[in-house]
Amino acid sequence: MNSAPRVADLLHDPVLDGTRVVAGAAGLERRVSDVHWYDGTFRKVADHLVVCDEAQASPPYRLEATVRRAQEAGAAALLVVAGPARPLLSTVRLADRLEIPVLWRESGSPGQLVLELTALVRAPEQVRARTIERLLRQLSSKRTGQDILTTAGSVLSATVTLMTSDGICILGDPVDVDPRLHLDQAVPQRGEHLLVHPVLDPQVNRLAAWLACPFERAADSRLDVLAVGLAMTEPFIRSWLSGQRAQADRDSVFRAQLVSEIVAGRDSVSRDVVEGAVSLGWRLPGWHVGIHVLSDAAVAVDRERIVDQLTAGLAGHGIELVASASRGNGWAMWITTDDEPAPEDARRLMRAVRLVTAALPREWSLTAGIGRPHRGPNGLAESLGEARDAADLARSHDFRPAVEHSDELGVARLLATWQRSDVTRAFAETALAPLRDAAHSHLLSTLHAYLESGGSAVLTAQALGVHRNTVTTRVQQIRDRLGVDLDDPSQRLALQVACRALGV
Amino acid sequence: MSHVDAVPLGLIAEEHVDALAAGATLLGSGGGGNVALAEQLVRHAVRRRPVVVRRADELAPDAHVVHVGVVGAPDVLAERLVDPHDMAVAAHAVAAQTGGRLDAVGIIEIGGLNGLAGVVAAAELGLPVVDGDLMGRAFPSINKTTMALAGGSAAPLSVVGPVGDTVVVTRSSAAAAERLLLTTAGAFGGAGALALYPTSAAKLTEVGIAGTLSACVALGSAFAGCPARQGAELAASLGGTFLFEGRVDEIRPRDGVLTGSITVTDRATGSAARVDLLEEFLAVTVDGITRACTPDVVVGIDPTSGVVLSSGQVRPGQMLSLLSLPALHHWPASAMGVVGPRAFGLDLELEGVLR
Repeated sequence: MNSAPRVADLLHDPVLDGTRVVAGAAGLERRVSDVHWYDGTFRKVADHLVVCDEAQASPPYRLEATVRRAQEAGAAALLVVAGPARPLLSTVRLADRLEIPVLWRESGSPGQLVLELTALVRAPEQVRARTIERLLRQLSSKRTGQDILTTAGSVLSATVTLMTSDGICILGDPVDVDPRLHLDQAVPQRGEHLLVHPVLDPQVNRLAAWLACPFERAADSRLDVLAVGLAMTEPFIRSWLSGQRAQADRDSVFRAQLVSEIVAGRDSVSRDVVEGAVSLGWRLPGWHVGIHVLSDAAVAVDRERIVDQLTAGLAGHGIELVASASRGNGWAMWITTDDEPAPEDARRLMRAVRLVTAALPREWSLTAGIGRPHRGPNGLAESLGEARDAADLARSHDFRPAVEHSDELGVARLLATWQRSDVTRAFAETALAPLRDAAHSHLLSTLHAYLESGGSAVLTAQALGVHRNTVTTRVQQIRDRLGVDLDDPSQRLALQVACRALGV
Repeated sequence: MSHVDAVPLGLIAEEHVDALAAGATLLGSGGGGNVALAEQLVRHAVRRRPVVVRRADELAPDAHVVHVGVVGAPDVLAERLVDPHDMAVAAHAVAAQTGGRLDAVGIIEIGGLNGLAGVVAAAELGLPVVDGDLMGRAFPSINKTTMALAGGSAAPLSVVGPVGDTVVVTRSSAAAAERLLLTTAGAFGGAGALALYPTSAAKLTEVGIAGTLSACVALGSAFAGCPARQGAELAASLGGTFLFEGRVDEIRPRDGVLTGSITVTDRATGSAARVDLLEEFLAVTVDGITRACTPDVVVGIDPTSGVVLSSGQVRPGQMLSLLSLPALHHWPASAMGVVGPRAFGLDLELEGVLR
């Protein structure tokens, strides 16, 4: 059971739209237990809102005695449906002094007002039931999100907005988000001036957006109506979102476009983009890890098959891809989490992608790159960019499938990768074979030192502790034995990596 | 103390004029017309020969008395001198309708301009003026008299215009008399001399309000003699009741027959008073409780200058002291429909009225 509403609460109710307080504002926090139509007497009106019509306000001096008697009888407030009359200053002063609110409206049927106010004060559940019935009846014929919000707003006599968890407005008027609300927790909440209700993702039980309804102040009963109203609206918005998504699924171009807009727009993404993203279930404000997948198979592979199998494979490792979209010569996909992923998550993901790609047919010739975790729409763009770079690097490997993580693209890591690779090792074994026997080990160490010092005989001599001419002689012997041109940069690089691979 | 019981005057001489004017202004209850011009006329007349004052019961019972005064718009009357000769012509015109005798002049209303006009007419006619009147204060209508309540007719009545045009009404119903007077005064440029309610001294003794001329002079002297102009002290010395003092915050002018109101606020206590008014101050309501109302006399005084204000002189921002004076006549309850607040369209709760 709600406690009785205060006068100020009633004033903010749509029933009293157009009503102003002309005097006695100090008494606005009085509680109203009932509504009383003034019939010339003030019997048993304690804590009642007394409604009177023009007859009590015209000529205006009449109101003064009414105000005094209302106060003496303990009435909570006086509502005057006054027509064109306005109160005398002496009446205003008296009501101010007595602290009895005098509410003033020019028009309206007093009888109707008494009825509606009585229902509001005495039977708020009836008002709620009536509002919900109207809401359901009207919402059932609405198709677009904007229509749903507008209808809900007009039935509830409030503003209803669809927004993301970080307060970006998707549909409707922007609202000021109360920082004390916990928009990361998908439960209905009430802030100081804002009611929010979570809109769940149509397919998984996860937060997709928020319905928000700002209010000035209101009685508990009024807030109940608003809260229930939002709860009733949510399934309609959800079904609209899922309809949007089904449509969006049919149109992968739409997604590709959206991704490129997010990448291009970074943090300043437009409302359309945010709206599209939400309709697709993308949670832009979270943490994103981008994955870029390329296929250089000779025959075109069906994109859907690759994406489906990757998605299914990763799901088997407990990793859920949010979406995929064509991007450049490959496909951009990403994972979104609400919290920042731990470093070990990156290794787990890398391992999972390796295992999954390895399990896919080799002729698809897949390479994949993984970006680092970043936050927000800007972060998504960043991570996708890194993933693409990593994928390009992975593609340079001569083995398939190849997976690279953006974290591991340091020079040392790159080189180490080459050195450890079997190809490099095989090349080293072959290319350096003429110098591998014990008799020529001094030539191998000379070659290594020569390459490491950038082809300088002087530096090599210093490093080896021999004379410069000795180095020159040995280099000539190496050229002869290996049959390579040490002036060719490619040859030099290959031999240097080979030397490192053999751990000379 | 009631000024009704004041020592009866035998004469109105020059030394009484200031007090007479001050008393008539107080009894005007904010209306009744400006007395300044009439005061000059009285002073001029009594300087030559003081006016004899006689109570009705001191006259021969069959003495013929005609009530003489002026009628018209207060603004016109405040500026245009009414010729005393016109008043004499009017009185004779009425007397001619009732047998030609004229033995004394009666005062229609003691409040405001007409309180002095009767004395002026008596001086012009060389007749005694009756110490008494028919209203005990000022009222805006010719029907709000003790004579009318007793069933007496205002007619035969006569109005004389500034160039001697004379209208005589030989018979008139009470309802028509008022309208006839006003339209005639309108035709005469807004004001004229008036004579009406011809009666005998015996009848006047019975229905008139005796002693009000003496009371008026006594009230005026008391007012002049009181050094204080602050509400409470002044009220005490005048035998009245202090009602309220504060700053005028809002003035809603009257709208035809709909009363206007003045809001006076006491900044110190935050309480507010409302003064309902037409031409006269009709009622004072403090914090929603009516403390005084017609037929009581409500006096508004500027406490800084000590000047008695008419309803038209009150200005926003001005300080205003309000006090009530007891009516010079105890109107019976049956008269309240004529002189009470309802007669002026005011629907007040009267349980708080201080009597």
